[in-house]
Amino acid sequence: MSIMDQTDMFHTDSAVSLRGVTKTFVQWQRDNTGKGLLRNLLRPEKRSIAALADVSFEIARGEFAAYAGPNGAGKSTTMKLLGGMLHPNAGTLSVLGMSPQKERAALMRRLGILFGNRTELWWDHPVIQSFEWKKVVWDIPDDVYRRNLCAVVEMLDIGDLLKTFARELSLGQRMRADLAMLLLHSPEVLLLDEPTLGLDVVAKRQMIDFLKRINLESGVTILVTSHDMDDLEEMARRVLMISDGRIAFDGGFQALRGLTGSLTRVRITMEEGCLPPDIPNGLLLSRERGVFEYEIDLVTTPVKSLLGQLSIADGVRDIEIQKAPIEQVIAQLYKGWKSQASA
Amino acid sequence: MADKLKRALRVPRRILSLLAISAKLDLMWLLRDTKYALTGIVGDLIFNVSTLSSIYLIALRFGGIGGMGTDEVLFMLAYSTITTGLFIMFGSGNNFHISRIIGRGQLDHMHMQPLPLGVQMCTSGFSPFTGSGDLIMGAAVMAWAVRRLALPVTPLWLTALIGYILCTMVVIVARSYLFSSAAFYAPVAAEEISTTVIEGTWLLSTFPLSGMPPWVQVGLLTILPEGLLAWFPSLCLLGRPPLGLTAIYPLAYALLLTLLTSLVFMKGLKHYVNNGSNRYVPYGFRR
Repeated sequence: MSIMDQTDMFHTDSAVSLRGVTKTFVQWQRDNTGKGLLRNLLRPEKRSIAALADVSFEIARGEFAAYAGPNGAGKSTTMKLLGGMLHPNAGTLSVLGMSPQKERAALMRRLGILFGNRTELWWDHPVIQSFEWKKVVWDIPDDVYRRNLCAVVEMLDIGDLLKTFARELSLGQRMRADLAMLLLHSPEVLLLDEPTLGLDVVAKRQMIDFLKRINLESGVTILVTSHDMDDLEEMARRVLMISDGRIAFDGGFQALRGLTGSLTRVRITMEEGCLPPDIPNGLLLSRERGVFEYEIDLVTTPVKSLLGQLSIADGVRDIEIQKAPIEQVIAQLYKGWKSQASA
Repeated sequence: MADKLKRALRVPRRILSLLAISAKLDLMWLLRDTKYALTGIVGDLIFNVSTLSSIYLIALRFGGIGGMGTDEVLFMLAYSTITTGLFIMFGSGNNFHISRIIGRGQLDHMHMQPLPLGVQMCTSGFSPFTGSGDLIMGAAVMAWAVRRLALPVTPLWLTALIGYILCTMVVIVARSYLFSSAAFYAPVAAEEISTTVIEGTWLLSTFPLSGMPPWVQVGLLTILPEGLLAWFPSLCLLGRPPLGLTAIYPLAYALLLTLLTSLVFMKGLKHYVNNGSNRYVPYGFRR
């Protein structure tokens, strides 16, 4: 099932490397019957869940990679393994050539980790106080701290937030402040787990622009997870898809779309009173006020043939051809993987 | 030579800088609002006076408790208040109530810092401004008790006092960490176990045990070491260790307990990094 673009796997200048990493968790099982209760007391029932099964990949220095997968696929487990918070059952990991498990403290000086649903800010203090705390704990030299503080204040537009108590920030502001704090020690690698979680459109836009900018200008390696595939497509050039603990895809977004065929959306606007044309192999998705939306596979129905048919149809006022949203592509992939796994 | 000295001083300087930033955060937190600050200071004062006065008033009424004179009881209470004060002053960030951090899945935050966990546990809860009330009061009452007892305060006696206080602190913290290890396996059920272990029997440690039957005293010096938290070291400092035990018994007990705790806690930590925590509660993390 693994469809990997492995041409340059395990090159030496890697920022993040996983080789044959396996991580299993044990789950307790119990039913709610009296018999089950007694059986559980004598011999608890447990089952093993493979969060990661023999996972290998590398992220090169300066790369911006997306790490995606359905819920429970093993994304956060990977992040925690790379941050030294968990140890693997088998395999080896390295970040910037260091073992997160054996050299955690030293690695944390060069690595930044952010979990979207957690904050590192001091809750009952102004944001700048958390920054000063970070300066001391990370032992950041004065000049580096000042330079980075100026940079993040400008790039993330948090000047007005510095004196505000963390508890009084909105979610978007809090995320920006957290991200700013994350960068104060000039991390070479960023591991971001759902950084856009719960953000509104504007806050998300700021976050994405900022991440792209630091990747481009400072060469910071970024591995980011998100449920929002559109966000990931906009940010990263490479996507690693994980499903059932295995890397199911590793490559570009264009190649990812190719996996489900060349699905395309075609919107046709008709003159009033005119019926929509009959499109072979086209699936009508919606119709509203003379606008008809179809899903068409351009492999079976080439563009030339499609346009040919539409040009001779009566009442066609406008045609709009779009790529299928990446969310739809992913949904199809997940569905396919799930049915393969259950088979 | 200068380089060697610089390197040798690096660790203590680093520890001091970490304590200093914790102290600054504590001061800033206290001063975030005048109303909160004053309420906090007055509340602490009332609490400390009432904690000390209850047993002392009984001792005054009966001319001592269980073979200890009123001033000796006062000395013991002062000792207990000092150790309580140190516990509060160095453990305000749940770093001594470690079961809360483990049980709430907040150990991940500690893993993200470029510091050994031990250093974080020793320095992250330092709060000399909001947590010094007990220590100041204990020190003042001890000075008063020493004067009333006319104890000869020699450098050797002061060293012994500091040594006993350190042993008591080790016993309190090690016991907390020992029981807190349960939170690695049962995060929800054991989240507050350190509070139960430490505070559940705290009052017992401020009570003079001299009048108790020997089996109770032995029990409270071994299985449940409340006798080591004030009573035993106070009598040692007053020159008469009870039960014919040697004056270095608290040190031996502290070392053994530390060894046992290290083994159990490290095993729990191994379980944590192998199994992770399926629970995360942001409550109480970084005030």
